[in-house]
Amino acid sequence: MSAGVDPWQAPTGVGARELRERLRAAAGPTAVEEIDGVSLEGARLETRVRPCSGEDLAGVLQELNTAGAAALVRGGGSRLGLGHPVPRARVLLETAGLAAPPIVDAEDGVAYLPAGAALSDLREHVRKEAEGRWELPLDPPGAGSTLGGCLAAAATGPRHGPPRDVVLGLDITLGTAERTRCGGRVVKNVTGYDLAKLYVGSLGTLGVIETAWIRLRPSPERREVWLAGLEDLAGGLASSRRSSVSAALWVDRAGSARLAPWLGAERAGSLLVVELAGDAAAVEADGAALREEIGAEPVPEGEPLIAALRDLLGEDRGLRFQLSSLPSRLSATARRLAEHGAELLVQPARGTLVAHFLLAPEEGEAAVERAFRGVRLAAAEGEGRWRVEAAPLEVRSVRDAFGEDEALIPVFRALKRVYDPRGVLGPGRQAGRV
Amino acid sequence: MATLPLSSSGAPGASLEDELRQAVGAEQVLTRPEDLFVYEADGLTHHTARPRAVVLPRDKTDVVQIVKRCRAHGVPFVPRGAGTGLSGGAIALDDGVIIECARLDRILRIAPEDRFAVVQPGVINADLSKAVAHHGLFYAPDPSSQQACTLGGNVAENSGGPHTLKYGTTTNHVLALEMVLPDGQLVQLGSPTGSAGGYDLVGAVVGSEGTLGIVTELTVRLSPRPERTETMLGIFPDVVSACRAVGAIIRSGLVPAALEIVDRRTIEAVEASVYAAGLPTDAGAVLIIELDGPAVAVGRQVERCQDHCREAGASEVPVARDEAERQRFWRARKGAFGAMGRLAPDLYVHDAVVPRQKLPEILEKICEIGDRYRLRLSNVFHAGDGNLHPNISFDRRDPDEMERVLAAGEEILRTCVEAGGVITGEHGVGTEKKEYMGLLFSEADLDAMRKLRAAFDPDRMCNPGKMFPATRFCAEANPKARGYDQVPFG
Repeated sequence: MSAGVDPWQAPTGVGARELRERLRAAAGPTAVEEIDGVSLEGARLETRVRPCSGEDLAGVLQELNTAGAAALVRGGGSRLGLGHPVPRARVLLETAGLAAPPIVDAEDGVAYLPAGAALSDLREHVRKEAEGRWELPLDPPGAGSTLGGCLAAAATGPRHGPPRDVVLGLDITLGTAERTRCGGRVVKNVTGYDLAKLYVGSLGTLGVIETAWIRLRPSPERREVWLAGLEDLAGGLASSRRSSVSAALWVDRAGSARLAPWLGAERAGSLLVVELAGDAAAVEADGAALREEIGAEPVPEGEPLIAALRDLLGEDRGLRFQLSSLPSRLSATARRLAEHGAELLVQPARGTLVAHFLLAPEEGEAAVERAFRGVRLAAAEGEGRWRVEAAPLEVRSVRDAFGEDEALIPVFRALKRVYDPRGVLGPGRQAGRV
Repeated sequence: MATLPLSSSGAPGASLEDELRQAVGAEQVLTRPEDLFVYEADGLTHHTARPRAVVLPRDKTDVVQIVKRCRAHGVPFVPRGAGTGLSGGAIALDDGVIIECARLDRILRIAPEDRFAVVQPGVINADLSKAVAHHGLFYAPDPSSQQACTLGGNVAENSGGPHTLKYGTTTNHVLALEMVLPDGQLVQLGSPTGSAGGYDLVGAVVGSEGTLGIVTELTVRLSPRPERTETMLGIFPDVVSACRAVGAIIRSGLVPAALEIVDRRTIEAVEASVYAAGLPTDAGAVLIIELDGPAVAVGRQVERCQDHCREAGASEVPVARDEAERQRFWRARKGAFGAMGRLAPDLYVHDAVVPRQKLPEILEKICEIGDRYRLRLSNVFHAGDGNLHPNISFDRRDPDEMERVLAAGEEILRTCVEAGGVITGEHGVGTEKKEYMGLLFSEADLDAMRKLRAAFDPDRMCNPGKMFPATRFCAEANPKARGYDQVPFG
């Protein structure tokens, strides 16, 4: 499918005013606002709607289906630059109103959390309700990140693994406006298809998440941050794989310069930052091993440094890509990216790289082309994949933002057609402009 | 898309069987009744259906050819591993063809530094761990049938095992898949790095019970062997006390590798069998606790677990003194199903999950249900996950007992669902539980699943008649299956 071609049925011709009235009838008068003229993600938006319950959300989606009007779905707005633009959208569908009271089951280590709530609030709520025994294992960049946005984008931060691993169940309203539930609250479950896996990372193009059952993680007995100057990325792999490592990021020279306020002026070169968390004895042993292996030193105040790294991961400067690579090829992958002008943050144990390309205005399209070429070569080198995490609209309008295998696009398209046949949820945003 | 062309077309009017013989070789196609007999059931022995034919592909090209020919004849097909599944998922309904993957049994690549392996679906689960042991690695999902079950079957069922508590199920360990879609196209999902753009198709396919296509190659994650492993045995006066110990351990934030409970009736069966492990037969239950990780941490965790057990009423909590004793502890757990064979000709291994803090009350209810229906019911289960396995020993030749077995099973499932649980934690839905899906899911929820099926297999050619209740899709009902229509569903 080429950019800009609308594969779905044309709008029914419902005007903006009439659509707003219908949405007000579905979600209540205060949930709908005229925003005529606001441009976002290539769309000229007419209306903002913020449903406050799953029922209202289903009503809104029903009206969008009836009118054939597409929506841009927004959580905290921190990852709107992920994926392709959505020029067909007329409505900004905000999920912040989906904020039912969270439930934390501290006995079982699970929580039922509203998608519209800010992760920072949920993190604090879990900590308080569980009396510090459990923590919410989601920490993507973005101060205003919501749970729903984090899950829709499959966003990760310095700590914890991918969100797919901690989602036990979802309440989700599909593009067809059907309110559905998948999974459950128990920690092991093979009852029917694992649809949560399909929805997490779908960028809200199949449905809008309302609430989620999340498996919490025991709070560590001890947490420490260690730091080592390390020019050779390969030398950090073993250290990053030690059993109590909860976060490990290699930062190139440019990145470490940006971290100067948290590091002290004496740190100039590339760095490996390692956070250890868990059993106190294991943390102590791993700290000693880090000192011996790579000359690491403990950081007195580790949390601000981890927060700064999280910000760096999500920083919007020029083009930002996320790539994966086999661990054994990380050095080669990173070298390839650096040759093409990238600034790098690498999570060696996970085999992921975040590459920032600063775009000099005088270089124009040539700089963009060089960046994409470098990313493609690097991903091939690492037997990995890549996706654009953030880029100017004009870049994402004309270039593939995912690098996914073309053979899978028909499957993606088939999925879109069954879950969102009228294309009301972010049409064109996914890989293959699905 | 890598689409393999048909290598030859059958003569006009040729039967499917002839075309299959021509495509993959006559010796790869089984059609004699005596050959088909063993494929009539999987581990769920009271659900049976004779397949039209069984085909044994030797490579992915064969699989493509088989699928295309079945489609051309409008005959459904069913992927099958070792047939150890316990939900009737690997039987062929509607006169379908079984694609038996046993000969796709090669380990294609081991990448120790990158901690992954590429294997064919017929590789036996335990064989992979053996093959990578000298690299200090292992494949973590370890279903009880791991000496026989295949990795392809594990993908279909999203298999777990005793060590799921810490290491997760199959879905957490599959990085990429190569599969033949129901239209005969060969596609690659995911990557060896575990990353993929677009929708998470690997996640959708794992646990799909062979209804979305035929997996021909898997890339799986390998885990480093822990530095130290300790296994202990909590001896409890009753199963409820053992469950309370499990709750206390989970609440404390400890994450053992395994927390497994064996109840008194199972202990008695095990101790009277070749799997005898020296368990105290006067114990109400034993709790097997395995801890692994850094040597410096495990010792203190052992002490904490022992304290939790004693506080919950354990009389003793011995720690295995050596590997031989550790294996003896596990023999009691892993040999339990085999030991049940002494009690009755048939064993119905149920599978449900409840929130972990509900285990004590649910166990009491389950035992009450078993007693009320006058059944020999025992429990051996993954307590750390809340994954129950009430086992009913019975004789299916006794129609009255068969009826009571099924009625008790349904009541157990209802009890678990009412407690916030689900109807299967690792065995899958298959034919066994498809009519119970409505206990858990609304029509809209089921429709959402049907949508996924429709996107991959709109004609429902791939393993039809599984997972979804027959009430909605009559075409997926199973009137032809021999004996199956005599099994009453709730």
